[in-house]
Amino acid sequence: MWRIRLLDHLVQAATWMAGGLLILTIVAVFYYLLAESRYAFTRKFPYGFRIALQSPDSEYRDEVSMDPTASLLATHREGTDELDDAEDATRLPPHEELASMQSLVTATAQTSDPAQLRADELFRDCMRAPKTAEQGERFLLLAFAMPSYTGKTMELAWEPDVAFEPEFAPYEFRLRLLRAPKGISIEPIEINLNQQPRGRITLPVWKAHSQQEWLNGYLFELEARPTTTTTVATLQQFFKPDWAPTILYARFGMLPLLLSTLLITLLAITFATPLGLAAAVYLSEQASPRIREWFKPILEILAAIPTVVLGYFGVVLVAPALQKLFGEALQLTSGRGLLATALMMTVFILPTVISLSEDALRAVPNSLREGAEALGLTLAECVRLILLPAAKSGLIAAVLLAIARVMGETMIVWILSGGTPVMPDFSSPSAALATLVKPTRAIPDTIAIEMGNVEFESPHYGHLFLLGLTLFVLTLFINLLGFAYRKRAQLQF
Amino acid sequence: MMTAAVATPAKTAIRTEGLSVSYNGKPALKSVNIEFYENTVTALIGPSGCGKSTLLRALNRMNDRIPDAVTQGKVFVNGINIYDRGVNLTRLRREVGMVFQKPNPFPMTIFENVALGPRLHYGLRGRALEEVVEDALRKAALWDEVKDDLKKKSGLALSGGQQQRLCIARMLAVQPRILLMDEPCSALDPISTQKIEELIVELGKQYTVIVVTHNLQQAARISQYTGFLMYGELIEWGETRQLFERPQRQETEDYIRGRFG
Repeated sequence: MWRIRLLDHLVQAATWMAGGLLILTIVAVFYYLLAESRYAFTRKFPYGFRIALQSPDSEYRDEVSMDPTASLLATHREGTDELDDAEDATRLPPHEELASMQSLVTATAQTSDPAQLRADELFRDCMRAPKTAEQGERFLLLAFAMPSYTGKTMELAWEPDVAFEPEFAPYEFRLRLLRAPKGISIEPIEINLNQQPRGRITLPVWKAHSQQEWLNGYLFELEARPTTTTTVATLQQFFKPDWAPTILYARFGMLPLLLSTLLITLLAITFATPLGLAAAVYLSEQASPRIREWFKPILEILAAIPTVVLGYFGVVLVAPALQKLFGEALQLTSGRGLLATALMMTVFILPTVISLSEDALRAVPNSLREGAEALGLTLAECVRLILLPAAKSGLIAAVLLAIARVMGETMIVWILSGGTPVMPDFSSPSAALATLVKPTRAIPDTIAIEMGNVEFESPHYGHLFLLGLTLFVLTLFINLLGFAYRKRAQLQF
Repeated sequence: MMTAAVATPAKTAIRTEGLSVSYNGKPALKSVNIEFYENTVTALIGPSGCGKSTLLRALNRMNDRIPDAVTQGKVFVNGINIYDRGVNLTRLRREVGMVFQKPNPFPMTIFENVALGPRLHYGLRGRALEEVVEDALRKAALWDEVKDDLKKKSGLALSGGQQQRLCIARMLAVQPRILLMDEPCSALDPISTQKIEELIVELGKQYTVIVVTHNLQQAARISQYTGFLMYGELIEWGETRQLFERPQRQETEDYIRGRFG
């Protein structure tokens, strides 16, 4: 007797342990993703503007890029670029050297008090603001012409540094004139660089005749004031449409990745649901037991094909076919892209959809089929009016589980997506076609590709975990939804 | 106690001729010849596995559902052999309705359960459909209990007896002339059983009703005619009172006296 009691207790204990382990795993994975994604929030958002004093007839006048010697007022984390040493070492050349040239000069300083400026501390290029600045950062900028300059006016020009997009930076940038040289009357200048990221203004010429006089030139200030906290800014940027993690001014907007994942899923489910449902109806309602006996193992074999194999199958078969179809219209170099991925995802998910849908249909009691038949319903009517509605919960659960599997599937997208993050564009039919056929990049393959060569515990690393967290929450939500529906399906009869 | 009056047999609604059914080669019904009369209730009795359900299901070809069932012989419904080639099953089942042992309402509202048949078969919509539904529910003595939440309540939310009457209403809404009932009370409590029995007697005045039952008292209470089956053979059939009071065959008498079964 006591032995049986003991066995009961053991079974119960094992059940609790298994359940606890499952919950623990989910919690642990969730915690791990959350913990590692904290590195996404340690980032100082870099920014950079090129500001230069130019001659109005400068050869760079009509070019996109400015005078290459223009001052770069920039801030990035130490060690994120190769410029650190150069930045610290660059000083303004001696006065004699400059004076012999037909030149205009802009020089920068990092002192916050203009009165304390010393001529020999002026930098001519590549400037970084103090890292500790909490209340915003200020660059001081001196502008003057050398005595040999012959022009009547001079021009202050500014533009964002290459690859820096002010709309992605959580700062309010202002360029203002702090002080004009003595004897020159000029309207106050204050420019909002967020609204006007590039432009130029004309200034009356003021020449510096000696090194000491430099300090009396035009004194401008670039102020970068954070508009929000780093956490909020990181999250805000996370939901913006630009994923460019490896450039100097890195941008971690995951919207194209998320939308790509959702689009692939939507397409795959749209293809797989009617096909899978039709096959499930055939198997459960029409097929003879012998056909079913044959079909079920085939389904299992299909479901067991490694996704790598499916992916390369797509590369060899589906992608070339798509390239043949759309290659000329869209100038495709390969057929890899959203549609190819979605098609192979359909193949990947079809066995699951069929199997689960068939289970759902077969869970409908036979008495309902008999009732429908006795009422004179044809098989099609019975399926449409009785069986599908009766199995609805189970069918929805099947589709939801399929969605979760497609979302998390990595190998097929990795091989077939083409690897280019693009925002979907449905503004015109041709744009929509291009979106559907052309290369794309989804969340799982981004993590897989970039995790391999990311700097450990860098913001980029953190953002990859943030992506993982997004995917996990998404699939967890859909799985739970599917679970709830399955539970309802079980309770119904 | 209700006593069913024996009506003068009018016209034959169903006649079988040498009807045999076998499952997987095993005979379940052996050359049965029986007639069912219009506007009467006929009960089929017999021990378990004697073939009474098989006989009932052969009358509207429900055995077609079973892959290994083979049917031989003829069944004439209104003079047409339903096992002829080219018989329209949908029309046959419109003519011959069926209710099962276990109530099987569809997982939809009460109204939808009843409206499904007439909508599909006669294309009824709107007011006309609602009238047919109400009429069917009244005939099934369910109207007063469900009229308030006809379109809100699921058919599955009703009690067992109500579900069975809903299935009867669902059958009646298609306007059949012959009603097959396969042990319609066996899954129900006594009070629900009494209600269904009263309903069967009532329906027997307008329809040809064939009821399979293993409850002898029930057969005596509700039917004018009774057939007794054993080992797949129709041992004896005739007027209920006669069969119960003066059975012609020894097996019948033994069964009725409770010596086996």
